[in-house]
Amino acid sequence: MSKAPGPPLDLPPATAGDIAVINLASARQESWSRFWRAPQRPGTAETLLEQEQLTAQFVGDLAAFDRLQILVNELDSANPDAAQTSLVAAQVACATHRFVEARGRLAQAVSRGASSDATTRLSMSIDQATGENLPAMLTARRERARQSGRLEDLVPLGALLADLQEFEEARRTYDRALREYRDVSPFGPAWVCFELGVLWGERIPAPQLDFAARCYRMAIDYLPCYVRARVHLAEILLRDRQTEHARALLTPVITSGDPEVLWRMADVQQASGNAAEAEQLMRRARSKFEALLARHVLAFADHACEFYCGRGGDPARALELARLNLANRPTLRAFEQTRAAAVAAGEDCFAAALIAEASKHASGTSIVSS
Amino acid sequence: MSDHIDGPRQIADPSADVTDLFAFTSLEDARRTVLAMNVFPSAGASAMFSNAINHSIVLRRATVAGLGDGAKFKTGEQEYRFSCRFDTLEPGPDGQPIQRGSCSFPDGQVLRFVVNDQKGASTPDGVFRVFAGLRSDPFFLAWLVGPMTKVPNLLQHDNVLAIVIEFDTRRVLDPANGALFGAVAETTPLPQAGAGVRHPPPRFDWVGKPEQTNLRLDNPALTGVDDLRDLWNQQTPFAIAEELRPVFRKRLMESLAVYDMRDGKADWTPAALAASAEVFLDDFLLFDVSKPITDASHLEIEKSTLNGVAYHTGGGRTIDANVTDILLTWLVNQDKGEFMQGGAAGATQPGAKTFPYMAPPNTQLQKMVDRADLSASADQVWTLIGPFGGAAAWHPLIAKIEVTGTGVGQLRSIQTIDSKQIVERLEAIDDSQRLYRYAMISGVPAKDYVGTLHVTSKGAGSSVEWRVQYWADGQPDIVVRTIVGTLLKTGLDALKKRFGEAR
Repeated sequence: MSKAPGPPLDLPPATAGDIAVINLASARQESWSRFWRAPQRPGTAETLLEQEQLTAQFVGDLAAFDRLQILVNELDSANPDAAQTSLVAAQVACATHRFVEARGRLAQAVSRGASSDATTRLSMSIDQATGENLPAMLTARRERARQSGRLEDLVPLGALLADLQEFEEARRTYDRALREYRDVSPFGPAWVCFELGVLWGERIPAPQLDFAARCYRMAIDYLPCYVRARVHLAEILLRDRQTEHARALLTPVITSGDPEVLWRMADVQQASGNAAEAEQLMRRARSKFEALLARHVLAFADHACEFYCGRGGDPARALELARLNLANRPTLRAFEQTRAAAVAAGEDCFAAALIAEASKHASGTSIVSS
Repeated sequence: MSDHIDGPRQIADPSADVTDLFAFTSLEDARRTVLAMNVFPSAGASAMFSNAINHSIVLRRATVAGLGDGAKFKTGEQEYRFSCRFDTLEPGPDGQPIQRGSCSFPDGQVLRFVVNDQKGASTPDGVFRVFAGLRSDPFFLAWLVGPMTKVPNLLQHDNVLAIVIEFDTRRVLDPANGALFGAVAETTPLPQAGAGVRHPPPRFDWVGKPEQTNLRLDNPALTGVDDLRDLWNQQTPFAIAEELRPVFRKRLMESLAVYDMRDGKADWTPAALAASAEVFLDDFLLFDVSKPITDASHLEIEKSTLNGVAYHTGGGRTIDANVTDILLTWLVNQDKGEFMQGGAAGATQPGAKTFPYMAPPNTQLQKMVDRADLSASADQVWTLIGPFGGAAAWHPLIAKIEVTGTGVGQLRSIQTIDSKQIVERLEAIDDSQRLYRYAMISGVPAKDYVGTLHVTSKGAGSSVEWRVQYWADGQPDIVVRTIVGTLLKTGLDALKKRFGEAR
């Protein structure tokens, strides 16, 4: 891929992040109020679903997934045979990586006459998440992005291109998403900037950490509460021994409930020579990861695996989680993670077998092998 | 988490969405006119205006340029623009954020104000007065228009962000030079210095007459047609693109023809339908400041002109005008038949007689639900938690309970371990269903607080569901949610510990 561009991207203006987050929280509460008054009213559950997803993705409130399960339980109770119920349930299952269940509920939604645009979109998300039919997926995503030109279609295309190691086209797609953005919500551009950070910092063979950091900072400028962007940026800063900057970055979101914040803050404390505080934070991180795994194991298996492979220091647990994640979504990244976990756990034969299996899987998806 | 990139579809900023535009004579002073625009449908209790949007109401003087089947309204080039923009948030005296804004007026004055200040702000010369903030949504829709079914108000309890501007009619609009005006409301990007290669959209949303997009251009009873709403929203108000007028005209005619036949009778002649489509194609809210504007006068100017006679009211749109039913009656039976009253006669709250003329925000129903799946049988669990006055035996946060009375209506006075007092009344109990319902009398700052505890069998074990619902009073209810959330979670966790969790 070409060198990281020098000047900052021409970024679209947006509503201030704190206003957007307040509005999201209050609109979400209002949506719940509407839902409780009339659970079966068309559109209410769908709006609530998207607001909770925004809350989980950008505000780092992981209890959103528990609330979404309440939504599904209520719909199942109030209107079990409706297409809306099946579709919302499929979307919630997908959001928490229960892909087998998601496919089942999606098939149910289709048979009940749910909108084909909604079911197609969800089907594509599931396939992309599980690494299935990627060449066909790419064609479909390209066409969708060409037709709509909307950020919501461009970003998934960019992510897929990155997964398929088409890094230059991924970058151009993200740039286009920013350049053609026609709204004023900060969530969209923050999302794109975050994905650019991931592309430059983690996906390309020779990571450009400076530019990745710049992209994460842009995401945080849009949304100061963007926990994931802060965590990713903190990792880069720690690698660069900018410990105090990392601390300043993580402190405002330490109470977010995301265990990765605690983990990275433990790294900060360790780097600052505060071993006791670091250990306490690690205990809290471990406890939070396990609490999340108890409720949503498939959703957090890969993140928890990374934790246990790293400072979490439990290679056996890491491998257990990696295998679970790989069985659920056999993407190239899942293979890589499982191989690394197997090596860390001393299971070299299994690690070797995984390479062969990954190659077989990759040749089936026309991925350029690295 | 969403690292498989199925991010939400709808990440548009809802505060850019214009919901309604109003134009009416001030109820406090007939020499003054009120313009109001609402944004952010279903706004929550703490909703704020975007700091990246310009909110404008734009007037142009209008004249009747044709009557009957040649009905036409022409607007002049001169604009009277009322624009509001809003600042980023700043800390308020009580720790809650406050937002300020500024409004610029046709005479060049700029007025600063605080959002949600009920009194609003006035220019020193008293010509202009502005309010901006959360209000009860005055719009109501009580039809499922597709099947033409009456339903309760679909926007019941909703709130919106409102901008209300009142001004001296004579000094601002000089009605001696023409008293008829067309109005639109729009949200546009704020101008950016050095915008680079980007081409921001000219506007995010705009509104003239109510329901142009959702009822006329996107008639729910018209199936198999393209959705033209996005294309319409990209049009320039007062200047719909000439090359697209035929497209919109055709859609309006198709739509109006369908409405005409909703009662099984053709009330409109083809020429009248075409004329009506033409009037709707020039989409601005017509009002005449020299004539009375009432709850019933909405669309009278258009109707009279289409009927070939001089209009006699100020048209416009008041806060309480039943715009949907007025419109549907006109479209379906040309006012020749029964008034098509939907399932509601008014919005959640009527408009107010005093500035800012829209009612305060509505309260919100809140519900909290928590569940625990236990290894023990439903009967075992119910034996422990079923007695209304027995919660101290299993709930870690309850130090003591005193019960007064027996059966339904009995009171339990709870003393928590941190010495708070909560009083609750038993409303219903059903041992066969293993369920009881109670109302909170005092102790938690919420209205109409009702809780339900229900135990059901689940496999070899049981499931306990604890629900609480209450009406939030419009203030951020983090306090109530925290109290209730802690009560529910701690109680259910204690049951899990005692009985074991179901596998």
